[in-house]
Amino acid sequence: MRDIIRLGLILLLITSIAAFVLGMTNDFTKVIIQERAEQANVEAIQALLTDAEDFNKVELDSIEGIIVESYEGTKNGVIVGYTVKTKPQGYGGTVEVLVGMTIDGKISGVKVGEHTETPGLGSKIADASFIDQYLDKATNLVFLVRKDNVTSDEEIQAISGATISSEAVTDGVNAATQLFEDVLKNR
Amino acid sequence: MKIGRIFTKGLIFDNPIFVQLLGMCPTLAVTNSAQNALGMGLATTAVLIGSNAVISLIKNLIPSKIRIPAFVVVIATFVTMIGMLMKAYLPDLDKALGLFIPLIVVNCLILARAESFASKQTIFPSVVDGVGMGLGFTLGLTILGAVRELFGLGTVFGVTILGDFFQPASIMTLPPGAFLALGLLLALFNKLTAKGLNEL
Amino acid sequence: MSVTSIFLILVSSILVNNFVLSRFLGICPFLGVSKQVETAFGMGMAVTFVMALAAIMTYIVQKLVLIPLGLEYLQTIAFILVIAALVQFVEMVIEKTSPTLYQSLGVYLPLITTNCAVLGLTIINIQMEFNLFEAVIHAIGAAIGFSLAIVLFAAIRERLELYDVPVVFRGFPIALITASLMSLAFLGFAGLV
Repeated sequence: MRDIIRLGLILLLITSIAAFVLGMTNDFTKVIIQERAEQANVEAIQALLTDAEDFNKVELDSIEGIIVESYEGTKNGVIVGYTVKTKPQGYGGTVEVLVGMTIDGKISGVKVGEHTETPGLGSKIADASFIDQYLDKATNLVFLVRKDNVTSDEEIQAISGATISSEAVTDGVNAATQLFEDVLKNR
Repeated sequence: MKIGRIFTKGLIFDNPIFVQLLGMCPTLAVTNSAQNALGMGLATTAVLIGSNAVISLIKNLIPSKIRIPAFVVVIATFVTMIGMLMKAYLPDLDKALGLFIPLIVVNCLILARAESFASKQTIFPSVVDGVGMGLGFTLGLTILGAVRELFGLGTVFGVTILGDFFQPASIMTLPPGAFLALGLLLALFNKLTAKGLNEL
Repeated sequence: MSVTSIFLILVSSILVNNFVLSRFLGICPFLGVSKQVETAFGMGMAVTFVMALAAIMTYIVQKLVLIPLGLEYLQTIAFILVIAALVQFVEMVIEKTSPTLYQSLGVYLPLITTNCAVLGLTIINIQMEFNLFEAVIHAIGAAIGFSLAIVLFAAIRERLELYDVPVVFRGFPIALITASLMSLAFLGFAGLV
């Protein structure tokens, strides 16, 4: 019995030292991780809405569906556009889609963030050749994924072999433009 | 044992992947590109060096009955530290490796080295063993990652090797490609070592 | 909690995201304990037992200890200790209560501590923000998926013994290529959920 207590205490001692060391490391890295995340977020939305200089988070009354968050971009105090982050369901999990829209109703940028789509197939949604299809188009369009030839503005050419991933991005963009049309631009 | 011998043993003769077949989960899971494979290998090496060093130092303080849980705590501590540092300084790699960073804890290679080497040796040979085994693991991972990336995407470390004439076989970056590539590489390794032995 | 979502978690963890063939968790026992169907089945059962218990225990530790104390960063170390203690405990209980069960499962239990499928499962449960019930369902699905893969694999390997495999492919290379073909078959389930 005394042996068990002794062994338990030694193990407890080792674990306490481990917890202490990790606590120190955590205090040190926590700040850097947070700063990095904020910086990455700012850089990402800045790239989507190049006209804007300052960004403020938009307080949405109710966050519905795949919408995550939205920022308004201002220049000299005037709102020049909005960015919206969405998380639609893709093939291998959720896909992070960021959309930038100017106040006059044009898509100024789309970025695919974290995703777990199939490497080499679905992962092509992050490539410029796919993403650029949305650029400069009007926010009142409802985009549709097509597997064959694209004839009009609202049609998006699917990535061959990755229709579901292509549709996921399109869902994200549509949700963002809808939020812009219904809520953001009327604020 | 000579220090140089300890090192080359881990790197080549007792290579964790091609000879000992240890740590197969990360070997198969994160080798869809050479870069991920290298990152995983180096993270594992860092943990291995740290745990080998600490275990060789405290080996006399730990009663043999609670040896394994104590080793696991030491290993888990290093894994968590490396994980935090990677999140802070290499966020992209951290995202790519994801779940497999905490799972370095259960990489059989690390516990095997703690049990069979570091708990019987002094700090210097233990560190050398950690470096050798770690780099051997890294080497194996990177070869596998490079092969899969080459045939799956036509690139190695993101640099295009096979030009437009090559139609990438995406299957190589998917799970079946992992098993296939490792199976074929092991067969090749067997072939080479068998030939080498015959010639000696 | 609807019946459909239970069904979805089960199908997804057994077939689509099979722990061994698509997530690469639990490869060591998959390659190591799969020479005979009987031992593979024993391993599968032992893993099922430990996984279900581990899912409950780690959930409790996460919600009642780590989160209230703000110690989420100690997750890895806490979970691996919980699993190690659990395996030890299960081994002791089975040994005392059911010697027959101990004889059939006993040898596999110590191996389970370093089975990354168990630790992986508990971390995924937290990442997916499952509640306790969903976590247990996921554990059962994952364990069934693991058992299915390892038993099928063992059945194939038993037959492979009878064939004349080229010398350099004997042992692990041919086993891995077999696993590749199984993984390819399971890839057919992708997109099902």
